[in-house]
Amino acid sequence: MKLGIFVSDYKIPVDTLDRLKGDDLGIILVLNGVYHATIKEAGKASDLLGKYSRVYALSEDLQTRGLTPEQVDSKVKVVDYAGLVDVIFNDFEKIAWL
Amino acid sequence: MGDVKCAFLVQRPQYKGETSRLALTHALAYQTVEILLEDGDTVTPTLNFVGEGVLGLTKGQKAMEAYGITSTESHLKNCLLVDLDIYVCKEDLDRFGIKEDQLPDADEMGAEKKINVVPFSTIQKNMEEANHVLFF
Repeated sequence: MKLGIFVSDYKIPVDTLDRLKGDDLGIILVLNGVYHATIKEAGKASDLLGKYSRVYALSEDLQTRGLTPEQVDSKVKVVDYAGLVDVIFNDFEKIAWL
Repeated sequence: MGDVKCAFLVQRPQYKGETSRLALTHALAYQTVEILLEDGDTVTPTLNFVGEGVLGLTKGQKAMEAYGITSTESHLKNCLLVDLDIYVCKEDLDRFGIKEDQLPDADEMGAEKKINVVPFSTIQKNMEEANHVLFF
């Protein structure tokens, strides 16, 4: 299943994401979810970054929060709104929002 | 009534919802409230950022360009300009790897106040000294 999952919070109040399995799962970090791309809590990058084959972050949401490309983890591909549309239509069969 | 102290605590990151933004705008409103008070009565707010609330404090925010709204950074600068005391929990900044020099100031606007980076015990003290504690 090629599933793209929008993550829009830093602390995720549900455990659905942990329970999903599959090689083709991807994460799209938007809104406050973009902190997963930059914050190293207690010096450690977000667990999300190591779990999924593809991780994207929306550039406009990074910029809104004063987060620069240099702060973004190398595992994360930054896309703008137009790039996000391409990701949704080309990379995944289904999209979910957490 | 005398002086009424209000401690606003921001514990959630900015932008996804209105909640944490309301803490800033409510705290800022203390100046306009004074015209409704009797002589000698005052309201003294403190704005305190803890937990994930500290995530929204970095400078260089482009909320107007991306979202068409005033950024948290602008609100913070306005707070400093009207001499509102802002406290940020040092332990939480350290936890998220945010350096003090990433926090904004309002020097270019002529503000004398700066953001205070303090241990949580200071924020606890602000809460204890306040007549009203408001969580956002």
